[in-house]
Amino acid sequence: MNALTDRHRERLLGYALIAPVAIFLGGLVAYPFLSAIYLSLTEKTVGYPAHFVGLKNYGALLESGRFRIVAWNSAAFTVGSIVVKLVIGMAMALALHNVVRGNQFIRGILLLPWVIPTVVIALTWKWLMDLFRGLINVALIDVGAVKGGVHWLGDPTLAMVSVIMANVWRGFPFFGVSFLAAMQTVPQDLYDAAAVDGAGGWHKFWRITLPSIKGVVAVVTLLSTIVTLNDFNIVYIMTRGGPGAATHIFATYSYELGIMSQRWGLAMAASMASLPLVALLIVGVVRYLHREEE
Amino acid sequence: MRGATLARWIVLALILAIVFVPMYWIVVTSFKTGRQILLSQSVYVPRPFTLDNYVYLFEESRFALWIRNSAITASASTLLSLLIGTAGAYSLTRLSFPGRRTFGGIVLVTYLVPPGLMFIPLYRTFIGLGYTNSLGTLILAYPTFLVPFVTWLLMGFFRSIPRELEEAALVDGATRVQAMVRVVLPLAAPGLLAAGLFCFTLSWNEFLYALIFIADDSLKTLPVGLSEFVVSDFAFWGQLMAAAALASLPVIVVYIYLHKYMVQGLTAGAVKG
Repeated sequence: MNALTDRHRERLLGYALIAPVAIFLGGLVAYPFLSAIYLSLTEKTVGYPAHFVGLKNYGALLESGRFRIVAWNSAAFTVGSIVVKLVIGMAMALALHNVVRGNQFIRGILLLPWVIPTVVIALTWKWLMDLFRGLINVALIDVGAVKGGVHWLGDPTLAMVSVIMANVWRGFPFFGVSFLAAMQTVPQDLYDAAAVDGAGGWHKFWRITLPSIKGVVAVVTLLSTIVTLNDFNIVYIMTRGGPGAATHIFATYSYELGIMSQRWGLAMAASMASLPLVALLIVGVVRYLHREEE
Repeated sequence: MRGATLARWIVLALILAIVFVPMYWIVVTSFKTGRQILLSQSVYVPRPFTLDNYVYLFEESRFALWIRNSAITASASTLLSLLIGTAGAYSLTRLSFPGRRTFGGIVLVTYLVPPGLMFIPLYRTFIGLGYTNSLGTLILAYPTFLVPFVTWLLMGFFRSIPRELEEAALVDGATRVQAMVRVVLPLAAPGLLAAGLFCFTLSWNEFLYALIFIADDSLKTLPVGLSEFVVSDFAFWGQLMAAAALASLPVIVVYIYLHKYMVQGLTAGAVKG
């Protein structure tokens, strides 16, 4: 009898303590989210109540040339950023792995870009790439690499390269430090055994290091893909999606539709456009993290 | 072997340079005069250097106000998130009740939903509530990503505290709540501090929600103030970079302390890039 009431009490306390989390996330994440899905199926013009239009907003998006450009840009921005972050992050981890002296300190310095406010980073890169006075152009002219300044943010292709560069600068240290932490858990025996078999450094990397850390690589890549696909800050500050729509991505586009034009139905649909992919990626992360827990 | 070591140091030097140059550019620009910037004089090292840009921030811009707004918003949303998240994490790791695993899964999933996807839906909800354009809006909005984060991070900390300590307190006649407050929370104090500092950093740096939800100039936070920093002067980059340096300073100081937790946290999957 007593044991039963104890268990009941524990349950009650359990629910009482999780209730604030549930109410909060229910009210300010789940509700907005579900109502956004509903609103994306409605049309609202000023002065009239919203009415249900089914998938019309999604259809309108798919047919709009601007949305297609946005989707393509988002993909390019995400894939470009992630690939470069993977390469530089891996190089950073390998360079730091097994370095005893100064490892902590160097790692500490290298993580700084990840701590600094993204707005600061975006503004700094905008200034670095300033046509006439930015450090990059001034330095390139000083060493004689180019004659006039490079139109980093004025040329459609270079603008995309520029926002990717800023995003990579912010994100690669996180990749590197995660990979490094994973590498440090790989048992030394594996390398010793491989060395006995006469394996070289390259061989060890592909056969031992990479397979041992592939879980971390996958989680970091998935997490970063989710965030990069829905990035706003860097593009908004550096280019406002321009020149033209050359760097316009999902979040800056829904900003344009919702906040600037007040076309809420379309804005909601644009907000939800990357949802299927994001949902898939989230399922991927959850499965990986659960597997590692067990 | 020699070759490998050399290659390693070259790679490291390159990466350090990549990280260092933009930060150096912030600092040197902040010490340049308007004239030096305008005419691209003493580009690499400002000679002479000036503190005018910093003085300008406090005397002629709303910088101090932005700092105040950011500090209020970040502190309040951090405290709120710690309170809610600690209770939630304790519940999910220490108490057994039907639906516990489902709750844990929901927390993880909400943690992963990016703000870039949520800002319009959340803005509409706040409009519906008639509660936009207040620091309170942000103080309620930030916990939407902070609470899942704190809960997830602290679950790891709580799991590392042996149950036996708590059970001993229960045997001694403490109630469950007493055991939590007197045994578990003190042991989790480093975790709570780390979680709190993380939350503060995330709120301090937050831009998107602050940009959308606040219209009043006097309520803008630091990142939004910086993004709209325009002066009629051509050489506003000096002032802007001084502001950028000062805006980064608090989070860098916090980071010096947090550094070791960050590495632990990110390997546990709790911290994302």
